[in-house]
Amino acid sequence: MKRYGDHRIPGRLFVVEGIDGSGKSTQLMLLHQWLKAEGYGVVFSEWNSSPLVKDTTKRGKKKQLLTPATFSLIHATDFADRTERNIIPLLKAGAVVLCDRYIYTAFARDASRGMDPEWIRELYGFAVKPTVAFYFRVPLEVAMKRINDARAGFKYYEAGMDLGLSADPDESFRLFQGRILDEYDRMIPEFGLTVIDATLPIETQQQEMRLMVLAKLTQAKQLRVAP
Amino acid sequence: MKESYGVRLPALELDDLVGKLIVLEGTDGVGRSTQIRFLKEWLEQQGHAVLDTGLTRSGLVGKGIKRAKEGHTLGRITLSLFYATDFADRLENEIVPALRAGFVVLTDRYIYSLMARSMVRGLDPAWVRNIHRFAPKPDAIFYLRIGVDELIPRAVFTRGFDYWESGMDLYSAEDMYDSFRKYQTALLQQFDELAEEFSFNVIDARPEPRVIFEQLKAGIDRILAPPVVRAAAVTVPTGVSAAAGEEVALEEVPEDRRKRA
Repeated sequence: MKRYGDHRIPGRLFVVEGIDGSGKSTQLMLLHQWLKAEGYGVVFSEWNSSPLVKDTTKRGKKKQLLTPATFSLIHATDFADRTERNIIPLLKAGAVVLCDRYIYTAFARDASRGMDPEWIRELYGFAVKPTVAFYFRVPLEVAMKRINDARAGFKYYEAGMDLGLSADPDESFRLFQGRILDEYDRMIPEFGLTVIDATLPIETQQQEMRLMVLAKLTQAKQLRVAP
Repeated sequence: MKESYGVRLPALELDDLVGKLIVLEGTDGVGRSTQIRFLKEWLEQQGHAVLDTGLTRSGLVGKGIKRAKEGHTLGRITLSLFYATDFADRLENEIVPALRAGFVVLTDRYIYSLMARSMVRGLDPAWVRNIHRFAPKPDAIFYLRIGVDELIPRAVFTRGFDYWESGMDLYSAEDMYDSFRKYQTALLQQFDELAEEFSFNVIDARPEPRVIFEQLKAGIDRILAPPVVRAAAVTVPTGVSAAAGEEVALEEVPEDRRKRA
């Protein structure tokens, strides 16, 4: 079992992090399009998407069966499945792998739910260290406005309603996501996250991102190029 | 009155647990479920309320694990975490509430089986131990121990070799028999190491079930105070009066019982 930072594999792993409404998924999608156009063999992997585990997570969320502990463990299970069956083999084959959310999401959320931070870090000790981890930093109010403009209301777990911080979803979201922002801030130096100012124009952020990704791709000896 | 192996879960208080947590461990086919059945009946006759539970029975993930195993597609890290999720769910929703209500909780396997399986599959022992550090320390751990040579006929003449119990995910090039032998030997070695580390009460699982049962009864008697009402004439709920025997720990089990046969 290789640990975080110990994997020596030819592919490149780029991940995006940030709270809901930070615009990270949009940025990753734009990066994906560009890499494809450039001819790289690029694969996208989403948080919480393992076919084996997804149904259990979905049911747990729908029926609100999850506690902080099971929420944490079921997401780690999902991530492990994607790591073992997807991320590691692809990186070994020399692919560029893009992840929308990564272990830092779990560290931020689970710590905000009161789980022991050291325990969570060790739990994810098998994760591959990303080539670059982008953190899209955005003030809470901006993120909330973006979410409210896009859809009606917040989801139960997203707003941390399971913690009973407030009966009002808006207020609960504010309190919970505020905690998550604090956790992200702590992780910037701890994990060397690359901070992108997510209040800048979309094009500016994307350009910054592409420059940094390009620097890492040119260093790579053999990246599989799509047919 | 219980403590974990070092990690506290949010909103899972262990200080007020008055029941007793009794674990039966051992490899596949060693006769754990028979003993659980005997013990449950016996304990209930004595006036103790009993919850019996086991692995992969949680409402949250029990089904998910069964389905995933049918496809044989689980990676070893994924499998470990899936089981840990299941365990956490049962702990929070079944085991801890029952202990709080003063039940005797009999569990067919506990974190030690989960750890042994993961380590046999080559996972980092420190990582494996960390995952399970939120588990409450049991009041007693009985390890039904049997050698591979005695275990094989039991597997052959009862239910045959099971894919996972034979570790076929590990030794797929072998036939089921060779794989079973290798896998169970490796598991036994892990169990023997865990037995030292976590002070198991080792019980020789070769004799007749009734003989084993007598040994288990004697071991459990030591940690359970008789469920009788004391002179104060207060009606004490079943099992709660165990307070008197609270501090009786494994140290009081004779040394020879802990060493493997």
